[in-house]
Amino acid sequence: MPAAAPARPGPRRRKRVRRPSPQRRIELILIGCLVLLSLVGGRLVQLQGLDRTAYAAMAQKQRLHTVALTAPRGPILDRDGQPLAETVDARDIYADPHKVVDAAAESGRLAPLLGVDAATLQTQMQQNTTFVYLSRAVTPQVSTQVIDLKLPGIGVLPATKRIYPAGPLASNVVGFANADGAGLAGLEYSFQKLLSGSNGERTFETGLSGSPIPDGHDILRPAVPGTGLKLTIQRDIQWKAQQAITAQVHALHADSGTVIVMDPSSGQLLALAVSPGFDPNDPSKSPISAFGDPAVSDVYEPGSVNKVITISAALQERLVTPNSPFTIPPTLRDAGFTFNDAEVHGTERLTLTGVLAKSSNIGTIEVARKLGAARLYHYLRAYGFGQPTGVGLPGDGTGLLPRLSNWTASTLPTASFGQGVGVTALQVASVYATIANGGVRVTPNLIAGTVDENGALKPAAAPEQHRVINASVAKQVRDMLEAVTTNDGTAPLARIPGYRIAGKTGTAQRPNSHGGYSGYTASFVGFAPADAPKLLVEVVLQNPRTGHFGGLVAAPVFHDVMSFALQTLKIPPTGTRPPVARLTW
Amino acid sequence: MTDWTSPRGSPYAARRRESLRERALDRESPLRRLDWILLLAVGMLCTMGALLVWGATKPHNVALGLDPNGDLKRDLLNIGIGVGLGGVAAIVDYRTIRAYTPVVYLASLVGLIAVLVHGVTVNGSHSWIKIGPGFEVQPSEFAKIALIVLAAMLLGERRDGAIAPDDRDVWMTLAASSVPILLILKQPDVGTVMVVAFVVFGVIALSGVSSKWIIGLLVVAAGVAVVIVHLHLLKDYQLKRFTAFTNPHADTQGSGYNTHQARIAIGSGGLFGKGLFHGTQTNGQFVPEQNTDFVFTVAGEELGLAGSGLLVVLVGVVLWRGLSIAARAEDAFGTLLSVGVVCWFGFQAFENIGMTVGIMPVTGLPLPFVSYGGSSIFASMLAVGLLQNVHMRSRT
Repeated sequence: MPAAAPARPGPRRRKRVRRPSPQRRIELILIGCLVLLSLVGGRLVQLQGLDRTAYAAMAQKQRLHTVALTAPRGPILDRDGQPLAETVDARDIYADPHKVVDAAAESGRLAPLLGVDAATLQTQMQQNTTFVYLSRAVTPQVSTQVIDLKLPGIGVLPATKRIYPAGPLASNVVGFANADGAGLAGLEYSFQKLLSGSNGERTFETGLSGSPIPDGHDILRPAVPGTGLKLTIQRDIQWKAQQAITAQVHALHADSGTVIVMDPSSGQLLALAVSPGFDPNDPSKSPISAFGDPAVSDVYEPGSVNKVITISAALQERLVTPNSPFTIPPTLRDAGFTFNDAEVHGTERLTLTGVLAKSSNIGTIEVARKLGAARLYHYLRAYGFGQPTGVGLPGDGTGLLPRLSNWTASTLPTASFGQGVGVTALQVASVYATIANGGVRVTPNLIAGTVDENGALKPAAAPEQHRVINASVAKQVRDMLEAVTTNDGTAPLARIPGYRIAGKTGTAQRPNSHGGYSGYTASFVGFAPADAPKLLVEVVLQNPRTGHFGGLVAAPVFHDVMSFALQTLKIPPTGTRPPVARLTW
Repeated sequence: MTDWTSPRGSPYAARRRESLRERALDRESPLRRLDWILLLAVGMLCTMGALLVWGATKPHNVALGLDPNGDLKRDLLNIGIGVGLGGVAAIVDYRTIRAYTPVVYLASLVGLIAVLVHGVTVNGSHSWIKIGPGFEVQPSEFAKIALIVLAAMLLGERRDGAIAPDDRDVWMTLAASSVPILLILKQPDVGTVMVVAFVVFGVIALSGVSSKWIIGLLVVAAGVAVVIVHLHLLKDYQLKRFTAFTNPHADTQGSGYNTHQARIAIGSGGLFGKGLFHGTQTNGQFVPEQNTDFVFTVAGEELGLAGSGLLVVLVGVVLWRGLSIAARAEDAFGTLLSVGVVCWFGFQAFENIGMTVGIMPVTGLPLPFVSYGGSSIFASMLAVGLLQNVHMRSRT
């Protein structure tokens, strides 16, 4: 065979193949469709049959929203129904820093409106969070101005603001509450639960945009408004007391001062003034120490005002009479101590009335010896020492009264004239109110009643009362106390022309933190009219630096406040003549 | 045997002188030869679709103070227009349509180019042309039909279908379909590209080509997918959204949000649903696009497993009837036309429902007949008309 020539490629020929029947492939597609649809069906059974409860729970969780409905806080009113604390509409201004576009520019525009430093605002707007308060409880007018600026990332929330229309008036009684509605001092703190009411809530279903879902659930539990408090405080007298004590604290460079004005028959406090005070509308400007109420929480040694307990107890126990004679040596040794009186004197011959009027320590010790420790302790307790007054203010102190079993030999003589025991100003006021009230102690009280959201008053329960001394003994003591304000007594400055004034001075040494004494507590407590007492005023000055005798520094404040209160309440003089007191024999 | 190359030879044309009533009741009447099961299934899908669109929009419209039934009315109008278009597509003999394939194809290209020039962007896709106020057309929906007709013609016409297509026919089909595919990819509408590619693949697979082509095309598709992922041709968010379904608990606030919310809506519907208009997830608008792409979640939430299951069954009936029509078609063109429509409906329905129940990736595809949207409903109804067309003219 000749070498074959390379095969020439033939003309490209199309392969003709009979079209196969599509039947088989159509069946394959049908099977494929059935498999895929079964897959979908199986998945639906899984989602809507087996796992439906879990998905229903997830669905509910993401659409249920609960919004707290803030209960309006109850107001605090004075005895005439004028507000000392009330709640008004306000707005909170907040920023969502992630949505703030230009922190520097926005803070610059907000700063003058909010009264906040622009740099502070800018720092807040640059925090890595989605919510930060820029200013809380601004007025609705300010919020409108903020909204008008249309700043990105800045929002407004409805809020309430606690305001104190009377400012510093009775601020130590009322206290204050913060922007979250938590009482932090005073009655705002101790009556937090009552005042705040209970917040309600609205649970509703919201869609993605945050607006309620049409046809969704909407469950409302309304807020229970807070209950208001009506106080026994008389606004004008409170103002006068605050003004007088503040002036005196300044004049004497004292650490602090307290004035209590009380109706002895009802135990109602008409004024509870302290200095220094604070402005509850802006408490951040005052030190934390200013927020308490020293009238019930400051414990000091009462000094001579205590002598009335020793003497009234001895009278009640029929151990002495107002005219019982006492021989007073210049000094007295007892239990290893040497006692003397405020003024150096020779041997004096004083009646019991004289002992009280001239505030003789030695004479009082002699009375206490007749009484004995057990009986003195009993009367101290009966007058309210060693236990809280129950007035309802935070820090209502017990004072410091050692248990009888802990008394040493020196406790009887020192306690008899008011050293070595600790009291609060209100405890002392209560002792004198008991005497003014004919021997019946009425628990001091500040709350006239509660006020519901419609303003209806529910009077407070009548204060607890018990008899300490007989009415006749109380009258004897009142007559003796009237001698204190005579020219021969220690407090002629307390006298008010036309009125009969009974009272007692106190000049006690102040215990210091080193276990010794430094400085004085000067006080005067008295009531008027002496023969039919309607008002009691107590003045306490802690650590006055120019002058320290109660009769000289506290009695003038008593004079001012008592005069004002008698006029304000239109209490007329009784027109009777004071008894002639025999101070010596 | 009728001369099926000419519409004049159709039974309808042959009896044109008879009265309308006689024609309608005649044994050979096209009306008698309609696939009534398919028609019933499509009718129920459209009805449920209208109810679901109503359920998804009414409460919200009420809240906004709009016409509560405004969306329902527009949906019903779309369905009505769709029925008319489908009727036309059923009556004109499909072999006449075959003759106009190049026109249909070129018209679809014009539409797709116009959308790139004058289109409106919705959800990141440049897919709509604004024709008048409140009236927008999505050319890619109609391009699906054009491509089915084109592929069926190229692969089914050789010796009137008696001879299997050869490699050149397949290459031509791939070349012709790549133009609209690239145009749709430019929008970008990845979902529609996937549908169209699958439809072309389905028509090729059923045309009688050798299985080498089928395997080869599958390998190429897999290769393209790998290349896309590895060359970062998709934007990061696209890939994340696409793959979110693989981990249902990942990023439920971000890329996984849609599927997470869709599952919550469907799952919380339980067995019998919360009742029309009472779906809290629907009314709260937690699921995006709930009257269009995610309309199935409304069925799941408001009608429960009963309603969503019925939808799946109805889709199954449509596919079954479509394949049955394909199997009994008079010629290869009719078979391939029907197969193309079945592949379209099947893939799109599975992808749409699959993404809402979290077994398929998320793409923006409507559920045929059910989702709100004029172009989708028009195109679907045209396709059903073509199925009926093939059925009426098939061997008995």
